[in-house]
Amino acid sequence: MTVDPTAIVDVRLTVNSAVRQATVPARTTAAGLLRDHLGLTGTHTACEHGVCGSCTILVDGASARSCLMFAAQLDGCAVTTVEGLATDGELNDLQSACLETHAFQCGFCTPGVLIVATELLAQNPSADEAEIREGLAGNACRCTGYESIVEAVLRARR
Amino acid sequence: MTIQRLTGTSVRRVEEPRLITGQGRYVDDVALPGMLHAAFVRSTIAHGLIRSIDTAAAAAMPGVRAVLSADDVADQIQTLAPNAAPGLFLPKFTALASGRVRVVGEPVAVVVATTRAQAEDAADAVQIDYDPLDVVIDIDAALAADAETLFPEHGSNVVFHSKHTYGNTAAALAGAVHIVTERFVQHRHANVPMEGRAIVADYHLGSGKLEVHASHQAPHALRAMLSSVLGIPASAVRVVCGDIGGGFGQKGGVGREEIVVAATARVLGVPVKWIEDRSENLIAAGQARDERLEVTAGIDHEGRLVALQVQMTIDTGAYPQLGFPASGYLNIIRALMPSAYRLTNYDFEGTAVVTNKATYVPYRGPWEVETWVRERLFDVLARVAGIDPVEFRLRNLWSAAELPRPSVTGAELIDITQRETLVEACQAVDYDAFLVEQAAARGDARYLGIGFANFIEPAPVMPSLLAAMGFTAAPRTPQEARIRLELDGSVSVFTSQQPHGQSHQTTLSQLVADELGMPIERIRVVAGDTDVTPFNMVGTGGSRAATLASGAVIGAASRVRQRLLRVVSNLWEIDPSDLELAGDGTINALGVPDRSISIAEIAKRTYANGSLANDDGAPGIEERFAYISGEGTWSQSTHCCIVEVDTTTGFVQIRRYVVVEDCGRMINPAIVEGQVRGGVAQGIGAVLFEHAVYGDDGQFLTSTLMDYLLPTSMDIPRIEVIHHHSDPDDDVPFRGVGEGGAIGAPAALTNAIENALEPFAVAIREQYLPPYRILELCGVIETET
Repeated sequence: MTVDPTAIVDVRLTVNSAVRQATVPARTTAAGLLRDHLGLTGTHTACEHGVCGSCTILVDGASARSCLMFAAQLDGCAVTTVEGLATDGELNDLQSACLETHAFQCGFCTPGVLIVATELLAQNPSADEAEIREGLAGNACRCTGYESIVEAVLRARR
Repeated sequence: MTIQRLTGTSVRRVEEPRLITGQGRYVDDVALPGMLHAAFVRSTIAHGLIRSIDTAAAAAMPGVRAVLSADDVADQIQTLAPNAAPGLFLPKFTALASGRVRVVGEPVAVVVATTRAQAEDAADAVQIDYDPLDVVIDIDAALAADAETLFPEHGSNVVFHSKHTYGNTAAALAGAVHIVTERFVQHRHANVPMEGRAIVADYHLGSGKLEVHASHQAPHALRAMLSSVLGIPASAVRVVCGDIGGGFGQKGGVGREEIVVAATARVLGVPVKWIEDRSENLIAAGQARDERLEVTAGIDHEGRLVALQVQMTIDTGAYPQLGFPASGYLNIIRALMPSAYRLTNYDFEGTAVVTNKATYVPYRGPWEVETWVRERLFDVLARVAGIDPVEFRLRNLWSAAELPRPSVTGAELIDITQRETLVEACQAVDYDAFLVEQAAARGDARYLGIGFANFIEPAPVMPSLLAAMGFTAAPRTPQEARIRLELDGSVSVFTSQQPHGQSHQTTLSQLVADELGMPIERIRVVAGDTDVTPFNMVGTGGSRAATLASGAVIGAASRVRQRLLRVVSNLWEIDPSDLELAGDGTINALGVPDRSISIAEIAKRTYANGSLANDDGAPGIEERFAYISGEGTWSQSTHCCIVEVDTTTGFVQIRRYVVVEDCGRMINPAIVEGQVRGGVAQGIGAVLFEHAVYGDDGQFLTSTLMDYLLPTSMDIPRIEVIHHHSDPDDDVPFRGVGEGGAIGAPAALTNAIENALEPFAVAIREQYLPPYRILELCGVIETET
């Protein structure tokens, strides 16, 4: 199957509680829509084949690899990106915990890790270390060895 | 006397808030008006002559602005000339392949189009015909008598050969009680930063200025290279680096693609962006650690090492890196291998070959194989001698009474604490209790193993090590910092470091805040802009920041402090020695309760009335300082790993991982621990998961993260980091920790695995040990050839 490179689609969605719309080439990925058309560059693409997890966003509350979705699939959806985690400039509990544990280093995997951890804590607010490690296993971090990230998620359970 | 409020504490990272809110700024976040996108056409074969390149179909595709191959840019990009090194053959080659390709993924043409998708579509439409040549795929193939030569002008695939002799190994071996000869194989793997290489190049036709945003570890080196190969004055080239998604050594050299993109921006007169995708990064950004070592060692009746002979061959891939010369790896590995051990007879023969593989690049602790082979060998020797591996190491480390002294290669061994770190590691894991547990578990057919690894690492490289490596001129690398008191009373710190995860904004801010008695929030660390940051060809690499960057900013801050005190002294007509920095951003008169002035107020006054601070009336206060480190700048560690190996599945579970490290005084313990743990994770990945694999035809077989496996949160255990506190007698007592974790982990882990499999008499002489290989070694499955 090929995508007609000249086809365009209209997408209307909610991103971080704001209604957004864009007209984009039909083959635009969800990540491409967010980054290149909606100015939300917090979401990163690091492998573009769905393995590393850096591009993970929440779509109607469920985590999704934005590099593997088309923008058109977000039509009518409510999307949360890393930019939507803080409220009015106030870091949320997970973000505050990341400050306490020196969670990250280079910051590139960070948006996807935070989104997956957000979903994990919503589904299992009392997750133990093993559950957190399993939950984060789809997110590659090359800098930290994961311990500082796991520690942040453990602390964010409060 | 500087107030030490923040130095030595785990101050929260200054970098973190922007990164956890999506406000980081990486190269792909840069969008300039009219910007076009580049995609590369890469060689699909490992070795061949280019018969023809047909760009017509690609050029006619939607959005395409240019399709360029080597001939099209011959007048724009000079032939590339990597850094020379004595005895090293360096070919001349072009940024886009010209006439011949030597590795799969080599850039042959570039397409520039309105969108990235259009550029990639058109890249697929470029037709290249090749006449294939024989593929030289590994060291044996490169050395074969009838081997195809990659560079016929050189006439051989051997590009470097060296021989060094220390003492008399032949005589020492003749007197040895046991002699062991082994071959150790270090497999090729790669840095794999989460962000690949990336560049946005913007050439201003009017001013002739090239401005580049890049994901790079050494912006001044990139500027120098772009200037020389593009023929643009260095002063007209500005390299800007924002946040960088990791590098681990891969981004210290200059990529051919980066040069080409800058050239296209100049040809087209519009900004051009190139964001390397993951497959490109795995195929073409450089790989590391592809080495083979034949080792002969002799020990006496007490298990003392009497001689070591090493023949090392390194597979450097097809092209030299535009950065670190391949001979440098052999030289530093030779110089470091004796480490802090009592060795006086040592031969080292080094050979570098070229093959049809990706360029060999530095990777976090580029000399790691010296530690892996030595510490692996020591376990072998200990068993032959019938001595416990820890005892073997203790017998062979130079004793306190014998130190300080130069190693056999001439590296000055100063402030060595390897005995202490080793003993502390044994205590931390309760070694004796483990041996009891291990014996009991074997009775239940459970295979536990323990492995130790000792190493000292130059952090930063010291003059005696440079001399040992053969740098007769021993170029030392002074590092400069500048500090400016700003109009608002804040302080800007200009560093030549190019942090890409190392948290230098935090650590350098801590040091300056302490030196100036100011809140850390008032310090801004500026990196990554060649128009304003101090010149340095290395940027960040070689575990140098803790000593060199710290020394530079402390020196500059100290000068600013003296200037501040002098201004206040003049204002109040008080001797500077009667003034104190309170630590809250104010300066007080000692013993005069109401006499206090804020640094912000001083700043305001020095800008309003320049003569307050400067005799010539110049406004404000700005100081610079260049710091050069001396001898004794070692970081040192003992790693200890405990594993359980499942001989049914081949699965290696790491039950405990302990690092006892001595990095002098710590600026920020949490950052030190993060660096150590991250390095260990990469070392574990190297052993259990990561392998850059080529087929016999030179095709690259691990070009996605589904084939090239990175360790996950399920694979990396908690890593216990124990600080052996020493306080070097040095103005700048901090040592680097960026590389050590990755240096020690492969040795400790492979030692633990062999120890676990002792009942199977398994000999581990290769580093890559995925489950299938464990099962092969245990004889559970047949060995695939």
